[in-house]
Amino acid sequence: MSSQGNKVVVIGGGIQGCATAFFLAKRGQKVTLIEKDRIGRHASGVNAGGVRRLGRNILEIPLSLAAMDIWQNLYQEIGEYAEDFHPCFYLKVAVDEAGRELGLMRAANLREAGFTHEVWVEDDVIQTRLPHLSIPTHGGLIVEGDGWATPWRIVQGFANAAKKNGAKIIEDCYVNSLTQSQGLWQIQTLKGLFEAGTVVNCAGAWAADIARSADDYIFPLESFAPMLVVTERRPKILPAVMGVLSHTLSLKQLENGQFVIGGGVRSKANHLINQSDVSLQKLSSSIKLAAKLFSEIGNAQVIRCWSGIEGYMPDELPIIGRGRRNGLFHGFGFSAHGFQLGPGVGEALADLVMGQQPRVSLEAFRPDRFIN
Amino acid sequence: MNLNHHYDLAVIGAGPAGMAAAIEASRNNMKVLVLDDQTAAGGQVYRQIDRNYHKNDKLFFLGEDYWLGKKQVEDFKHSSAEFFPESRVWQITQDKHVFFSRKGRAYQVEANFILISTGATERPMPILGWTLPGVMSVGGAQTLLKSNNSGADGAVFAGSGPLFYLTIWQYLNAGFKVGAVIDTAPGRLSWSHYLWALPALLQLNLLLKGLRWRSHIRKNTKYFSEVRSVSISGQSTAESVSFLDKYGEKKKLYASHVFLHQGVVPNVNLTMATGLKHYWCPRQLCWHPETNIYGESSLKGIYVAGDGSGIAGASAAILAGKTAAKHIVQYSRRPSIFITFLSKLKRYKHVAARPFLDILFCPPKEWRVPFEDETIVCRCEALKKADISSAISLGVAGPNQLKSFCRAGMGRCQGRMCGLTIQKMIAEYNNISEKDAGYYRLRPPIRPLTLGELASLAED
Ligand SMILES: Cc1cc2nc3c(=O)[nH]c(=O)nc-3n(C[C@H](O)[C@H](O)[C@H](O)COP(=O)(O)OP(=O)(O)OC[C@H]3O[C@@H](n4cnc5c(N)ncnc54)[C@H](O)[C@@H]3O)c2cc1C
Ligand SMILES: Cc1cc2nc3c(=O)[nH]c(=O)nc-3n(C[C@H](O)[C@H](O)[C@H](O)COP(=O)(O)OP(=O)(O)OC[C@H]3O[C@@H](n4cnc5c(N)ncnc54)[C@H](O)[C@@H]3O)c2cc1C
Repeated sequence: MSSQGNKVVVIGGGIQGCATAFFLAKRGQKVTLIEKDRIGRHASGVNAGGVRRLGRNILEIPLSLAAMDIWQNLYQEIGEYAEDFHPCFYLKVAVDEAGRELGLMRAANLREAGFTHEVWVEDDVIQTRLPHLSIPTHGGLIVEGDGWATPWRIVQGFANAAKKNGAKIIEDCYVNSLTQSQGLWQIQTLKGLFEAGTVVNCAGAWAADIARSADDYIFPLESFAPMLVVTERRPKILPAVMGVLSHTLSLKQLENGQFVIGGGVRSKANHLINQSDVSLQKLSSSIKLAAKLFSEIGNAQVIRCWSGIEGYMPDELPIIGRGRRNGLFHGFGFSAHGFQLGPGVGEALADLVMGQQPRVSLEAFRPDRFIN
Repeated sequence: MNLNHHYDLAVIGAGPAGMAAAIEASRNNMKVLVLDDQTAAGGQVYRQIDRNYHKNDKLFFLGEDYWLGKKQVEDFKHSSAEFFPESRVWQITQDKHVFFSRKGRAYQVEANFILISTGATERPMPILGWTLPGVMSVGGAQTLLKSNNSGADGAVFAGSGPLFYLTIWQYLNAGFKVGAVIDTAPGRLSWSHYLWALPALLQLNLLLKGLRWRSHIRKNTKYFSEVRSVSISGQSTAESVSFLDKYGEKKKLYASHVFLHQGVVPNVNLTMATGLKHYWCPRQLCWHPETNIYGESSLKGIYVAGDGSGIAGASAAILAGKTAAKHIVQYSRRPSIFITFLSKLKRYKHVAARPFLDILFCPPKEWRVPFEDETIVCRCEALKKADISSAISLGVAGPNQLKSFCRAGMGRCQGRMCGLTIQKMIAEYNNISEKDAGYYRLRPPIRPLTLGELASLAED
């Protein structure tokens, strides 16, 4: 094969693209990452930073556990940036009987499937772990060691580590089109033509456009804008990341005392013009719930609200794997829960590109699952 | 609280522009809602005019221009517009929903038209020691004077601009002792000053008034002109001000209160967060929302009037508010070229002197970007100039990207105190224009909002 044929181009400088470039470079693969804006500018840099295995779709759990192995040894991979990961515990409480039933059922299902990371705990345990909680709960699910990270720093960490291992990273470089000739991908960009034997499409909410341009599958990917609010600094009362069973809420308190609240609620996004809306009103129910859990939260002042552009699949499971065209791989469609998966996805995509067997099955994420 | 869900026109800000629009629109039978975060109508210029009028010693020292506002506030009160003071508007959506908080609760209304008349805000003057207790803006000092008739004897005023001289003049009239006035306006006039002074003669009254204030101040205070390198020092509060006088001699004055001012700029937080288009005004060195002569912005049905769309003063604000309301009332009938021309002509009378004032008081770089590395630039995150410079040197293309590098502009003031400084620093480092450096991307809520208030919007 020509020297170009050995090359890999990764499109997209989010967590998936950066982690993929890193694992490829670490194994000696020649790799160039191309990002249309800046590294971590989109979902990967602005997300809630929740690093959780808790509550994942059962099909996604093996990948999530594999990713967690990497998170737990992150320092080996990305050095000091790993200090921006803060493991603690993740707790999803039930505030009503419906929530309790749901939680107990899930705990039983997971046990049956052989997963032991999620544990059901009763209210007495919850009250001792969260002494500032304002209401009694109906029990909840807990995962020790889940936590949160400063997303932008982690993405930078992977990008830097990739560079250290010889990867090239090119920012402000929009990929216009992808065509294949004689087994070689021609990648037309704002900064000229690139050629590579293999392309990995980690273009987030834009990935279906890339696939279309490459004449690959047509993916039913849709853009939305998950939202977050952050408050002023308040005394520390919350040592965990929290959610509520059968409600949409994610709640945590940063080391400096700021609360970050989001979870599920999403606004409109238009990825074609890099635009995402915020609608504070849509967050009001989640916030009401948060203020019920900790009455202190009601007094906290909102200082910022933002959103990011995220690509959603109809089944809310990502696309990870080989495309229809030779030498094209996909990793996108994380449907608002792809940050934690990032390191695991990067490793798995590197395996696929290098012809090795990923350590977990990617069957549930097959790119052709929507093609009849 | 008797609030409807739908209005013909929602006006944000009850200063001269907002009041004028509300009076005009309600006269034409429009259903008008007016929201303002102060406790009474009047805006910056006529702040607390109603209350002050009913005091025994009607605060004469505020000057006749202030008392001119009495009639407008009366007309406004007698109009059919519904007015809710103490209402902080924190979001306007493009489909014309207005969100605001009042007394611990949040509300939402919908309107066919929205007028944003949120006025101006003072340009920050980041010099060494500007964050010490005892230091505040001249506008802040004036606010205390208008709201509580309170002031500080022996205060030192540093800066320049019309509001600077007006406030000192009011301070003296009120009987407070002024410690010293440190005037930072450059002394020499250039040919362009003289050129722009010609049209300014159309507003001769305004110019003469300014000259009168200044000569009164020169006579009655310890006055230093053409001052450079001002800094404030003190242990835990302000104790002294140092500067170079016009002969280059180092001076030091003792003062526990120092008031700073470098002019005012449009308060663009709401207009930017609403997604209106803005442009960089090189003469006023600040961002303006794009509008046509009637105040309609880049979003149909959303208008901007008054100092919030470019600094032009109270009388221009009144005209702008009225003009916008007239345009809204006759929205379906597009005005003819002739009417548009007349509107422009009418406006010109109120803004003829503006270019002259703008270049006369244009803040030199020294007052926009601090000289010393230790000077705080972003107050909320306590970032010094050195912190910001080193973040910029990592390769930052604009203020938004800087946020991820050092959190500048991410605090509760939403960049009001650092945005223009940081924009300038980035432009200089990258050798690009300020316009190209751009500004923070602003997002709602643009006013303080507690989670409890936000939660009150949730339906049960
Ligand atoms: C507000 C919010 C909160 C979230 N909270 C969590 C959470 O707590 N936990 C969690 O696990 N997940 C969370 N997520 C989801 C998570 O952030 C995403 O799933 C993840 O970051 C997706 O990573 P990515 O690399 O696929 O996408 P992105 O970060 O979007 O990266 C894709 C990149 O591709 C680039 N690109 C696109 N088209 C082109 C082109 N033509 N040429 C060159 N480059 C191109 C884009 O500019 C972009 O930078 C959240 C998301 C949001 C928005
Ligand atoms: C501090 C200061 C003091 C000034 N003093 C004088 C003076 O004494 N004499 C003079 O001639 N000029 C003064 N000016 C200049 C002034 O801008 C104009 O003269 C004139 O007041 C402009 O009128 P306006 O209607 O455009 O805005 P303003 O008079 O500023 O009115 C805007 C109103 O909107 C309110 N508002 C702003 N944002 C929101 C929000 N999000 N929600 C609810 N309400 C909001 C404000 O509280 C204010 O009441 C001052 C400017 C400033 C910044």
